[in-house]
Amino acid sequence: MALKKASKQKVVETPKEKRKRPRDFEGLVTQLNEGDRTQRRWAARDLAQYGEKAIDPLCDRLEKEKDTSVQDAILSSLMEIKRPPIGERLIPLLKSDDAALRNKVIEALQSMPDLVADHVNELLKDQDPDTRIFAINIIQWVKHPDVPKWLIEVIRNDDHINVVGTALDAISDIATEDMEEDLVAVKKKFNDPYIDFTVDSILANMKE
Amino acid sequence: MGIEFTRSDFEKFRQFFYRKTGIFFPDSKKDFVEKRIIKRIEETGHSSFRAYFNFIRFDRSSDEIQNLINLLTINETYFFREKYQFECLVENVLNEIYEYKEPDEVIRIWSIPCSSGEEPYSIAIYLLEYWPLIDEVDVEIIASDIDTNVLDKAKKGIYNYRSVKNLPKHLLRKYFKKLSNDRYEIIDDLKEAIDFRQLNLFDPRQNKEYRYIDVIFCRNMLIYFDDESRLKAAQIFYDAMNPGGFIFLGHSESMSRICSLFKVRKFKQGIVYQKPF
Amino acid sequence: MKKVLIVDDAVTVRKYERQMVENLGIETDEAINGLEALEKLMQQKYDLLLVDINMPKMTGYELLEEMRKIPELKHIPVVMISTEAEKKDKINAYKVGANFYVVKPIRPETIKCLINLLVI
Repeated sequence: MALKKASKQKVVETPKEKRKRPRDFEGLVTQLNEGDRTQRRWAARDLAQYGEKAIDPLCDRLEKEKDTSVQDAILSSLMEIKRPPIGERLIPLLKSDDAALRNKVIEALQSMPDLVADHVNELLKDQDPDTRIFAINIIQWVKHPDVPKWLIEVIRNDDHINVVGTALDAISDIATEDMEEDLVAVKKKFNDPYIDFTVDSILANMKE
Repeated sequence: MGIEFTRSDFEKFRQFFYRKTGIFFPDSKKDFVEKRIIKRIEETGHSSFRAYFNFIRFDRSSDEIQNLINLLTINETYFFREKYQFECLVENVLNEIYEYKEPDEVIRIWSIPCSSGEEPYSIAIYLLEYWPLIDEVDVEIIASDIDTNVLDKAKKGIYNYRSVKNLPKHLLRKYFKKLSNDRYEIIDDLKEAIDFRQLNLFDPRQNKEYRYIDVIFCRNMLIYFDDESRLKAAQIFYDAMNPGGFIFLGHSESMSRICSLFKVRKFKQGIVYQKPF
Repeated sequence: MKKVLIVDDAVTVRKYERQMVENLGIETDEAINGLEALEKLMQQKYDLLLVDINMPKMTGYELLEEMRKIPELKHIPVVMISTEAEKKDKINAYKVGANFYVVKPIRPETIKCLINLLVI
């Protein structure tokens, strides 16, 4: 039979590989920037163990990295580190032209509720409606008790139809009776079929 | 006074669950879901669906979502479970791998979590019985699990009738010894062929030992993880695999809730994911 | 029977677009991101896709790029629907092979027009 039992030696890294892979912080940062795709991925993964110290090098690389597999590894490490300085570095990337990167940043931020809470006001007041929309995308799935409050503020105060539409979608499964007045008011404000449809279905679900 | 679970509660819940897992409960499953949700609402000390739903939406620990997923998905293990994937392995996936491998390169298959061994043993039997090229190439099957109790069971290889009942009779006779009490024991040759190892997937010292893997079977594990852990696990698998390697997920699971690192490949038997070359 | 696949991560948008299309007597299906859409495309036939740009895991742009590489999928018409109104986004959409680009919120009359043009 050609089923062969794996011996431990076979699947462990060869000694040659072990030497090639740096173990120290500086070595990893160099590999993160100069290695091939696989090496950059391993460096991004290994840097997670350095915690806050690794945030800047990881974010610096993220800003220039074009390979999606390396972007994923960097973000996964940032999500593991989860410290406040990450917010300062990731939030500006919401304005990136790279839609895929933006969406990955949104996902990473969804896993960091306290960080988001610190920045939510500035994000929801940004001049760019798309940035406000991305902020709502983050808020919708972040685990923070103030989420309903943040969303209702947007529904009350924002004038851009797509920003409000996104907030309505976000609030649709957590709406409470005390929001009824604001929801009815928003229908009047926009007079749009999508807004009407969404508000009506939220109100109908509330009544049941 | 019973806890209510209205149509709109069901609608809210199933959208949430669909987003999380990709599993969508049709209307016909309302009673199935209702029974189990009400049970969890009571067990977690909530007085209404709304309070419970807010809890799972905003609770940082994610444990309750995992409990729910456990309750709402069926998870038993037995020989030849979801065998269309083993068919895909021997009819398509392994042939492709064989084509691009060097002549004396070993093919490595990883079963995780292997639980009490039904999956890796099923893979072994399928290879021996249904893959014509098995005699031309060496195949290693590595089976890991975090739980040492189930690993011990797997190494002993003793199963009850329920586990083996989907096996064709001639295979049961060929690969098992019948014991008393309607139990069956895997033959020694197969026990020896599989490398069972304890593994905590997220322990970096342990997971780095898994390299150069050509096929991963990771069925019905990722569904129980939270979003961050799923992404992390996918990264670990990606780096453990050779370029061109394949990964099979459980029948109701999809990379669409996890990451788009892998290429989607469609075969007659269904979808498999492949690490790009 | 003609079928339209609606791809958007917002549940209310999916509901809304599905209703508008179904009101025209056409079957619909949905996906919450580009990757789920791609998997569905490999298992069933669709006559038109309405696709949002900003979605987790795989954006509308990435979905379209993948589709145009696959012989069975490359000719399926795709309407990109997005909040972005900048010219460069429109150009990007057409670059990856979108047939039309529409800015949200989408109106019933627009859906009717698109269906008549691309499906019926």
